[in-house]
Amino acid sequence: MIPFLVRRFFQAIPTLLLASVLIFFVISLAPGDFLTPARLNPGISPEQIANLQASFGLDKPIWVQYLYWMNNMIFHGDFGLSFQYTQPVLPVIWPRIVNSVWLVLLNLVFFYAIAIPIGVYGAVRQNSFGDKAINVVLYFLLGFPSFFLFLIVIYFILQIRNATGWDIPIGGMTSNNHDQLSTLGQIWDVLKHLLIPAAVLAITDAAGLTRVIRGLMLEVMRSDYIRTARAKGVSERSAIWKHTFRNAIVPIVAGIGGLLPAAISGAGFVEVVYAYPGITPMLLTAINAQDLYLIAGFTVISTVLLIIGNALSDILLAVVDPRIKVG
Amino acid sequence: MKKALFLALAMTATTSLAAPFVYPAAWTADQNTANKRGGEFRNYTLSDFKTMNPFTSAEATSIPGTMELGAGLFMQDPRNNEFIPKMADGPAVVSNNNKRFVVKIRPGMKFSDGQAITADDWITTWKIHTDDKVGSNSYDSFFINDKPIVIKKLNDMTLQFDFPTQSSTALSIMSYTPWPDHVFGKAYRAGGAEAVKKMWGLGTDPSDIVSPGMWTMESYKAGERAVFKANKFFGEWNKDSKGNALPYLDKYSFRIVSDLNAGLAAYLAGQIDSFGASKADDLAQIKKAIDAGNLKSVLKANVSPNATSSWIVFNWNKAGDPAKQALFRDVRFRRAMSHIANRQAMVQLALGGLGSEVYFSTYPIFKAQTDAGIAAGAPQYKYDLAQASKLLAQMGYTKKNAQGYLTDKSGKVLEFNLATNAGNNVREQLGRIFADEAKKVGVKVNFTPIDFNALVGQLTAKGENRPFDAILLGLSGGTNIWPFGVNVVPCGTNLHSYNNPSDGKCLTSQEQLMTKLYYQGDAELNTAKRLAIGAQLMKTEGELQPVVYLVGTNYHVTFNDRLAGEYPADLMDAYYGSRNVALTFIK
Repeated sequence: MIPFLVRRFFQAIPTLLLASVLIFFVISLAPGDFLTPARLNPGISPEQIANLQASFGLDKPIWVQYLYWMNNMIFHGDFGLSFQYTQPVLPVIWPRIVNSVWLVLLNLVFFYAIAIPIGVYGAVRQNSFGDKAINVVLYFLLGFPSFFLFLIVIYFILQIRNATGWDIPIGGMTSNNHDQLSTLGQIWDVLKHLLIPAAVLAITDAAGLTRVIRGLMLEVMRSDYIRTARAKGVSERSAIWKHTFRNAIVPIVAGIGGLLPAAISGAGFVEVVYAYPGITPMLLTAINAQDLYLIAGFTVISTVLLIIGNALSDILLAVVDPRIKVG
Repeated sequence: MKKALFLALAMTATTSLAAPFVYPAAWTADQNTANKRGGEFRNYTLSDFKTMNPFTSAEATSIPGTMELGAGLFMQDPRNNEFIPKMADGPAVVSNNNKRFVVKIRPGMKFSDGQAITADDWITTWKIHTDDKVGSNSYDSFFINDKPIVIKKLNDMTLQFDFPTQSSTALSIMSYTPWPDHVFGKAYRAGGAEAVKKMWGLGTDPSDIVSPGMWTMESYKAGERAVFKANKFFGEWNKDSKGNALPYLDKYSFRIVSDLNAGLAAYLAGQIDSFGASKADDLAQIKKAIDAGNLKSVLKANVSPNATSSWIVFNWNKAGDPAKQALFRDVRFRRAMSHIANRQAMVQLALGGLGSEVYFSTYPIFKAQTDAGIAAGAPQYKYDLAQASKLLAQMGYTKKNAQGYLTDKSGKVLEFNLATNAGNNVREQLGRIFADEAKKVGVKVNFTPIDFNALVGQLTAKGENRPFDAILLGLSGGTNIWPFGVNVVPCGTNLHSYNNPSDGKCLTSQEQLMTKLYYQGDAELNTAKRLAIGAQLMKTEGELQPVVYLVGTNYHVTFNDRLAGEYPADLMDAYYGSRNVALTFIK
């Protein structure tokens, strides 16, 4: 195990280096820079633009900017200064990442809670009416643009609010009176705001995984050892969950490594539509504003997490499937 | 001891005698006769706040910008646009050919931490804003033609402003917000610009924030909400017409919504109290909710034009294509293009009927100036295809080819490229309408939306051979004191986008005249005379038509029924807004 981790660590160095070069230079390839919109402001003089360029370091060649950035990152743990916030990147993105993690975690709980039982049900009752009906619904949702679905959900919540007067949250993460609530009340308040976006997102995404689990289960169910197990008189429950399911999910476990960066990358459009204070709305603004170090810093962090996540997947795989060994 | 006691007594006497600023009763349609106090005005903003630091803040709706409401030496009266003393104790004493202003500060004013506001606060604030290493957005406002404005402290309660030239905007420039010397001055003297830049980031504890204005920080949650509470010392020197302390409200909050749809949803659900509706669709939804009884709100559509407009500019510096350069430099061509612009269709189709036609660089919201210009004979080349064809025929474009496009003697088609920024639906529609109308008279317009930053790069390029034919874009902002752009009108400035050669020289006598009139008007303190100079400027600009102005959006007002104390209907506009928050109360 230890040599495996050490090897992984050394392999990660060139990967990260290359990734950082790509990230930095690809972002810089876009025309203009953070100050471009200021050039259209009738109140800002060219001298002032030059001042700002100098203070942001935008007047230097791009490779010099890159070397400064790398130097600060490696030796000082400093991911650079966000132009928009005039603050270091890490404290700016951290609260957003934490918010996103809550939403993504709840979403994942719903996601697996929906996809696994339905996938298994679909395999066990293959081509039954229930299997087909669920597939039709899930596929419809999968094919639907997710942001559009979120807007429709908001519309219905508004109708329900108007009709019944229930205080169903339609955006944000906390209520106005959040600070005055008890600890338990605060947790419930946040949960109340998370439930709908997390559930809607999970439902729209579940179709894909359901299909994968169903297929994998079917394949394993037809294998000889399951037939042998059944012939030996193993209970149906045990045959499905212990023998079939455990073997069927191996490829899914392999993908779990991707969840780590996914957890901090936020939940995408749902955050924008529900005005949820996650990382996505902030990144979209940063990309729009060409806030170089904010985008680059965040991307480096998610790359690191992807590498750690992949190592974790490999270890998990070894746990689930004894045939696979690490090291 | 006796002397100290006497001094202390004298000081309390002067503070208690200090006259407060009284908000005129005419500024509100809804007098707070029931003496309702307290409550929260729940507003919203579209992008997250970036900083609490007044020196690095650059956003439209910002934390320091909210805190500083009501803090400035002078303020404009929405009834007549005149400047009235706010933090100043009276009108400024003017001398030295209108270049020196001596202002006494209103006694008895305090920051939210209880410290007295004195001349030092203005001096420190000015020093930090004008330190180029700080990168303040207000840097430019302390210079006129690159010459600095000098501010001196005569004593603790008196300031002296020395302007390099006479300026109509002097009182507005002097009205910047003073930030506490005991906070920023201390940091600045110890660590310079770097120390100031590091202060008051979003992670700062709200209780450490000190405000001179109406509001001070209560809490901020990243990406969610910023809550301000009334600065209790503000009410000591700000009263309503009956002598009650202002503001009436306890709290003013901003919910951060990352997109207009989320904002509309929050408004329809009653979670926020006002909404800046801009699309016909949004207005329709609000109206429907009001009619159905689901939303108790006031809705006023088309209250005034916004201080913004879209326009098309033609590039006069195309050395690489002399034929096109000659075309764009021909005034008949540009007038023809203005005749082609079907502004009515643009308002109807691209803005859903919610907009105004624009013919000048002065936005129609600055009515006093536009009226003066039109009265002085500033021409408006309105939609008239026959007139456009006539002008083009005078230029030799009489024949059309098989595709219906006009050609010159050598058979070359009359065509040009028109670019705008991709993703801006309204501008894309404006461009298409223009291109369709142009085709009717035989002008081929190759309309392509391109990346915004690339477009700005082209527009602001200098030199003899600049990289575009024509660009459709918009500008916004400006004041009603002298509503012409300092970077737009004079030759050689960076947004003088039709003619920007490397030496920055004017090409035509009209441009020279406009440059002269710009500086003349900017320096004129007399409002009537300034309007007359502005009218001449509009006339010259109108005749030259260097830029074809198209349309601007309109301003609409909608707010929740629980709010009261808005402006009377005739005072509401995009420039002054719909209310003074100080006079706002919850019913």
